Amino acid sequence: MNILEHLQPTTVVPLHLLGFDVSLTNSALTGLLAATIVVLFFYVVSRRAKPVPSLSQNAAEILVQFVRDEMLAPLGKEGESWLPFLVSLFSFILACNLLGLIPGLLPPTSNLNFTATLAIIVFLIVQTAGIVKHGVGGYLRAIVPPGLPWPVAAFLFPVEIIGQLARPFSLAVRLFANMFAGHAIILMLISLIFIFHNHFVIPLPVLGNVMILAFEIFVSLIQAFIFTYLSASYIVGALQTEH
Amino acid sequence: MEKVAAYLAGGLSIGLAAIGTGLGIGWLASKALEGMARQPEAAGNIRTSMIIAIAFVEAICLYALVVSLILITK
Repeated sequence: MNILEHLQPTTVVPLHLLGFDVSLTNSALTGLLAATIVVLFFYVVSRRAKPVPSLSQNAAEILVQFVRDEMLAPLGKEGESWLPFLVSLFSFILACNLLGLIPGLLPPTSNLNFTATLAIIVFLIVQTAGIVKHGVGGYLRAIVPPGLPWPVAAFLFPVEIIGQLARPFSLAVRLFANMFAGHAIILMLISLIFIFHNHFVIPLPVLGNVMILAFEIFVSLIQAFIFTYLSASYIVGALQTEH
Repeated sequence: MEKVAAYLAGGLSIGLAAIGTGLGIGWLASKALEGMARQPEAAGNIRTSMIIAIAFVEAICLYALVVSLILITK
C-alpha cells in the first residue's frame, strides 16, 4: 500500500472539455478559495483605507512597502509597475500554503502542476520584459556580463542560456518539494498509529504533528517570500541596464 | 532485484543529501551567529539573509527527496 496516494488530488466535480480532463479537484477548489480570499481581503482593505490604518490595512501596507523597498529597490520609480504582480503572487502563494494546513484541504502548492504553471508564468514575464526593454539583440547581448574577451563570452553564452532555462525548474521544484515534504511528514507520523496497532502510541504522533504544523506555518511564509523574492530578482536582472 | 535497487537508491539519495544539507546549514548558522555576536547592531540584517540562504540550502535536500520519492514509488 502506498500512503502517499492520500496526497494526490481527488476529483470533486468531473468536467471534460474538448477531450481534456479539466475536472475540479479538491486542490483546485482550495486554490480558488485562496484566490477569493486574497481578492476580497485587498478589495475590502483598499475600500476602507484610512489615514490611521486599521490592523488589516497595516498588514497590507507592510507587505506592499516591503516588496517595493526591499525587492524592487534597484529599479527605483520603474519598479512600481511590477508591484501588483509581485504582491498578488506573494499573497496567493501564502494563502494557498496556509489554507493547506487546515485538515481536509489539500493545498494546490503541493502539486507540481500548479507550481510549474506559476514558475513558467514568471519565466515568460521575465523574458518578455527583458526583450521589450532592450530589444532582442540588446537582450541577448546583456545575457553575458559586459567587458569580457570574446572567447570567454562565447563560452559563457550557452552556460547562461542553460542557467536561464533552469530558473523555472528550480522555482517550481523548490515550492512543490517544501510543501509536499511537510504534508508527507504529517502523513507518515499519522500512519505510525496504524503501523503500531496500539492506542497507547497515539499521543506521540499527535504531539509530533503539533510541532510539525507550527514549523509548517513558518515554512509557508518563507517559501512564499522566497518565490516572490527570486521572481523580483529575476525581473530586476532582466530590466537593469549595465551602464 | 530492480525493486531492491530502487529502494536502496532512494534511501541513499535522501541520506547523502541530508549529510550535505546538514553540514551546509550548520556552517551557515555558525557563521551567522559569529557575525551577530561580533556586531549585535547588524543582527536583524544577518538573520534575514541567513533565513533566505537556509531556504536555498534546504531546497537542495528537497530535490533529493523528490528523486527518492520517484525512485521508491516507481
